[in-house]
Amino acid sequence: MKASALKEIRLLPPLAISRLGSAAEPVNNYNLVIPDDQPLGYRDIVPAPTLVVDQASGKITKREALPVTFKDEQGRIRPVAPFLELWGSTGGDEWVHLTESDVKGARIRWRVRVANIKVFRRTGDPRDRVEADSDWFHDHSRHELRGNAHNFYAGKYIPLGHIQFIDPTRGFPEIRARFTPAGGYVYGSNPFVQNADGTYAVDPAFGGYIQHDLNIRDVVYDPAKGKWLGYDEIYPPNQPGPPDATIPGQIFAGQANAKIDGSWVSRGYLDDECDGTVEVELTIGTKTLSSFARIGAGPPAFAPDSFPIRTVYDELEQALLGPEVGPDDYTIEELQAETEEIIRRAFETIRLMNTTIMNGNAFQGKVDVASTMVRQDRGDAERAFEPIMAPTIVDNLADRTLHQNIFATLRSGAPPWFMSVLRRFDEIGDLTDLGRRKMPGLMRNADGRYLCLTRRQREKIRLASQRLVSPQEERRAK
Amino acid sequence: MRSRLSRHLQSILREDSTSPGLDISAKMLKRGFAAPLGVARAETQPAPISPELNGHQYAVFLLHVAAGIEHALMAQYLYAAYSIGGAQVPPDLREMVERWQEVILGIAKEEMGHLITVQNVLRLLSGPLNFDREDYPFDAAFYPFDFTLERLTLDSLCKYIYAEMPPDWTTPPAAEVKKRAIDASRGGPLHAVHELYDLMIKTIADASLVPDEYFRPETVKQQASWSEWGRGYAHGARGSSLQGDRPKTPDLIIRAVSSRAEAVAALKEIAVQGEATTPEMDQLSHFKRFLDIYEEWQKTLKHHKRFDPARPVVTNPIVEDSLGPEPPPKLSSSAADRNVITAPVTFYWAHLLNVRYRLLLSGLDHALHLAGVLEDTSQPTARGDVITMVFSEMYKIRSIASVLVQLPVRPDTPPEKAAAGPPFQMPYTLDIPQSEDDRWRWHRDMLVASQHILDVLAVMESDERRRGYVAALRESDADFMAVIDRIIARYAKQEVTV
Repeated sequence: MKASALKEIRLLPPLAISRLGSAAEPVNNYNLVIPDDQPLGYRDIVPAPTLVVDQASGKITKREALPVTFKDEQGRIRPVAPFLELWGSTGGDEWVHLTESDVKGARIRWRVRVANIKVFRRTGDPRDRVEADSDWFHDHSRHELRGNAHNFYAGKYIPLGHIQFIDPTRGFPEIRARFTPAGGYVYGSNPFVQNADGTYAVDPAFGGYIQHDLNIRDVVYDPAKGKWLGYDEIYPPNQPGPPDATIPGQIFAGQANAKIDGSWVSRGYLDDECDGTVEVELTIGTKTLSSFARIGAGPPAFAPDSFPIRTVYDELEQALLGPEVGPDDYTIEELQAETEEIIRRAFETIRLMNTTIMNGNAFQGKVDVASTMVRQDRGDAERAFEPIMAPTIVDNLADRTLHQNIFATLRSGAPPWFMSVLRRFDEIGDLTDLGRRKMPGLMRNADGRYLCLTRRQREKIRLASQRLVSPQEERRAK
Repeated sequence: MRSRLSRHLQSILREDSTSPGLDISAKMLKRGFAAPLGVARAETQPAPISPELNGHQYAVFLLHVAAGIEHALMAQYLYAAYSIGGAQVPPDLREMVERWQEVILGIAKEEMGHLITVQNVLRLLSGPLNFDREDYPFDAAFYPFDFTLERLTLDSLCKYIYAEMPPDWTTPPAAEVKKRAIDASRGGPLHAVHELYDLMIKTIADASLVPDEYFRPETVKQQASWSEWGRGYAHGARGSSLQGDRPKTPDLIIRAVSSRAEAVAALKEIAVQGEATTPEMDQLSHFKRFLDIYEEWQKTLKHHKRFDPARPVVTNPIVEDSLGPEPPPKLSSSAADRNVITAPVTFYWAHLLNVRYRLLLSGLDHALHLAGVLEDTSQPTARGDVITMVFSEMYKIRSIASVLVQLPVRPDTPPEKAAAGPPFQMPYTLDIPQSEDDRWRWHRDMLVASQHILDVLAVMESDERRRGYVAALRESDADFMAVIDRIIARYAKQEVTV
């Protein structure tokens, strides 16, 4: 292919989600495989070919399956650092991953702009936006993404990760860049621990000395410029919350000021998560083609062999394909497999839950011992504090077994029968006994109310339920 | 030992079984207890109640009969529902037939709720629980019709309508349905369930028959509650979840009862759920829901003469302990006959179903012997675990039944001609051991037996999907045996909360 023949370019994948980690080496590539002999078991983490990058030169030195560990020898978490590949088309539907020879004579340049606007979301002060811009570059060195904000101390910034244009070689001639996220650190506004009323906490080990804040990596935010340290998000009792508050509110590191009802005072912390775009431009003579992809940094996966019941993938699939499923979109076998996967993820999720506590059961005679939907129902809607399920039936192991049995039943080819207990998207605020007991159970969605499956997930199960003729019968009849 | 109900059934059997319900006043009921010798009885009066019973015992006896009926109805409805489907259902009718299946499964679930509520009333009245039911050969004449596991046909449907019909149902198609039901029962006596419930309600409501001292409100903590057993099924949950807004169905009735008034109310509620004749309940009763299917079926036949919603599953399938060398009798569709499953793989699946059915029944019995402790459930309760086991077994029965209805009953006959079905054979005993830890060992025994069957199926079963199910079931059983071991260990350390 000649560069001059290119009509369009794309940066793929269009959305790449990295995971924070402070180890020097990212996690090696792997696949999750359900073991044949243990259909209910944990997914095996099977090493897959990994591209190894020499950070100094920006060159890929090898591609091979390597052992998978999630922490390095010092116990630091390995980040997940995605590659973004440059693909091109000369017209039509055929797309290829462009190589160095494909773009010979062309000029390629990159730019990354990311931001962390969590504090701005609370304070509304644009000077609290933490933003980084790599500016255009075309070399192969690592470019640090320095997150700056007007309300930071002069010269201070939050490292939000790196971007590197991989130097193509004869062995690995493809055009790609790699985003490596930040280390997952907390940054602050004060080197010392400040109480909600503005006084300082005394160090318990050295009475009389004030206590250093050991959570933070660096003090970057200037409390004289911005109001984040000591920012109080007040939810007055028995009154509506602030109109622009998140649901649930007060979800930042803070402490209550005992003198003000419903107060939640910020400790002035910031983190190094971010999201934004990677842009690429390819110039051939006077023609410039461009594309971009979105990147984000999320927390590490602490249960990498499990999937949650609802993931970003499900959201994207619904956004892309819509909430409805047509009768010919999937075969019977595919619908059954999709349903099995959703139920597998349900018991994988339960494996990570303390269902007894999340149900609002008393613990050693004490009630309301954790942040649960029970507490939230009371806080949001003044519902009586009452466990969600009957307290006797929420043993974690038994619940897991029950869900595994549902999965096993589906394995037999029996169509799903539990549609009526699946929470619909418009039932997330139903606080009746029946409404609270629907599935998925005991969990909160990002909207602050009970988690439900995406409409598309639910539709798949519904269509899988409508099966009067088994695949075997269908085959025999044909 | 199985209940020997028929010994005392004379008093509630009537010769004219097609007449409206038993209108018996409390006064008449009291007079029904066997009088001293020489006191004559009018021809129209029911037979006297056995001199071996007093009022309380009679109430318990009736509740035992009711439990047996609910259990038998549940098994028969489940069998009929599982038979529904197959490639012979025309594609344009599948949505309707799926709905029928969901409706009948829903009614079976409600019978399960009735069965559990009747146990709660037995607990309240300090009577023994009863999870037994009549089996083959059928000998309890008060049952609505001979216990027959059969596929859904217009004939079997008419029997279900008859069993659930209100006493005053005379509007069309009452005559044809009644005739068809009686013909399908070989002209034998049929009874509507409401007759029994009427009698039971009148007996329990009468303080002179069942004095206050027999009512034990403290048993509520051992009774089943909707919170534990309802599993989120309620209005509209059955027959209406697949295809949008169908007419609503009633709640799954599981009532804990603590007084005479509550017991009577619960039994009335069950009776109404069956026959439900009032206009506001019109769409909700079993009777009406079965009748809707009947009418829809008749309409369908006008355009699809050979319409058949069910697979060709045999009537009354059973499985014997071993496959003998002699050829079994020919397959029979008569309700009086049983059809022995002899296809080798099917043989093991049928045994698997029986052992899981037994585990379900012993789990149910066990659960209602354990008190719920609600004050502090920071550690798992044995009651919670056994309830979980019961639900798990329901799911397994569902899947094994789905497998069986697609398997041959005989090695030389393809399932498209004659398929097997879930045999639901009653175990040699329903009694469970006395001590708590032994009860768990009892359940574990059945899981071990099940593992042996699964080991065989893992080798014999050739269908890939069913092999996958066998593997999943083995693993799931192994997990649950670990739960049981944990519970037994806690009993050993005296840590358990019951």
